[in-house]
Amino acid sequence: MREGTVLHVDIDAFFAAIEQLRDPRLAGRPVIVGAGCIASCSYEARRFGLRAGMALSEARRLCPEAVILEGHAQVYRCFAEQIFARCREVAPAVESHLDEAYCDLTGTDRLHGEPLEAARRLKRRIRDDTGLTVTCGIGPNRMLAKLAGKTVKPDGLARIAAEEAESFLTERPIEQLSGVGHAHAKTLRSMNLKTIGQLRALPIELLEALFGVVGRLLYERCRGRDTAVVSEREIPLSISRETSFRRDTADRTEVEGMLEYLAGRACRTARELDITPRTVAVRLRYTDGESAEQARSLRVPSATDPVVLELALELLRRLFRRRASLHAVGLILSNFSSHLAEQGALLDEAEAGRRAALYRAFDGVRSAYGHGVLVSGRALHLKGKLDQDRHGFVLRTPSLTK
Amino acid sequence: MRLERIDEAVAVRADFRGGTATPLAFWRRGREHRVVRVNARWLDRVGQHPCFYFSVTVASGDVFELHLRGADLVWRLDSVSLEG
Repeated sequence: MREGTVLHVDIDAFFAAIEQLRDPRLAGRPVIVGAGCIASCSYEARRFGLRAGMALSEARRLCPEAVILEGHAQVYRCFAEQIFARCREVAPAVESHLDEAYCDLTGTDRLHGEPLEAARRLKRRIRDDTGLTVTCGIGPNRMLAKLAGKTVKPDGLARIAAEEAESFLTERPIEQLSGVGHAHAKTLRSMNLKTIGQLRALPIELLEALFGVVGRLLYERCRGRDTAVVSEREIPLSISRETSFRRDTADRTEVEGMLEYLAGRACRTARELDITPRTVAVRLRYTDGESAEQARSLRVPSATDPVVLELALELLRRLFRRRASLHAVGLILSNFSSHLAEQGALLDEAEAGRRAALYRAFDGVRSAYGHGVLVSGRALHLKGKLDQDRHGFVLRTPSLTK
Repeated sequence: MRLERIDEAVAVRADFRGGTATPLAFWRRGREHRVVRVNARWLDRVGQHPCFYFSVTVASGDVFELHLRGADLVWRLDSVSLEG
């Protein structure tokens, strides 16, 4: 197999670092960004044991002096775009996610110099341009590049050569292996397997029997082999748009308005990626912490707002039955097909085509003037209740991930 | 920290040398706020025209956020961040 060179760029404490940059009075202080739970926290906060995903109540208990901010999603997007643009200057293929990017540096030595030096220059440029620090890891594949970076966070740079892969992985905890989530780690630990090196003792048949397709991947990955390529245009497994309400609510017009708004945002993202979802899910979180989720498939895959919304509203009606206020609502699109022309049932084929064309025209207007320039149907009920900018309504906990 | 929204057009004295805009001072309610430090700058490309955003600390120590709209070259003061 051809030896590759992958550079993994990870933005250090992303949201919190931007908040510290925007307001120098926060520098050196424990800063948390999140609503309900921690989305990101500064390294000063991490010294108190705080970490992403932790409930804010727990965070307050551990670190009463922490500054808690709700966050500014659009600002974070702008910084990320600037950083990823810099990455594209050194790599022909860049796969970007929320706060990290994989850059394929294979064969770029003659153009950009030795990878370690190219990464050093990239780090410097990012710091000069944005004031933010990034951690860079270089490896023969994605997995090793990311793991290399993990050893030198924050603001570090490390490289693992292909021949060092096995020894590098041997003593690392099993959870660090890509593909080993919480459930798999629990299974492996119950078998007294704690390190990646110990996993190598298991035959591929056993791993497949335990974890299915993932088992085969784990067999390769624990030996430092990862065949996943850096893919310029990521087709997500799901597109999720979710937010909590500024004040918990049981008002159906508000909940349906929010759901319509979220459906519009999710569908627009799907159309931009030229993918069509078949499955729509609605997720609710109640004031008391209980949650409910239900998914259903569309009769015909569609990325137009009314089709998705119709099913989403039906799911909402089935789910929202408790006499309790809602804390958050979300909509998830999944099960995508690529490059699929919009279809309807046999008799409303033409109507489906017209509807798809209409929403593509809306997309054009929104690309030129911002998403907030058009507000549809039930989402009008959010006017006055939420702040608005040209990106649309300012959500309390917007989804930044796909 | 508390963010107070302002959202009003303001007059700004700025330096455009070197191909970048740098706000030097702005006037609000008849009072001049001298910028002592540009904390962060970022570019928002949504729509046909970009917006140039700045977080600045003024002489009084307050931190303001303002932006220059690429479409009509109007400066707008977005917010002030207050301690407490």
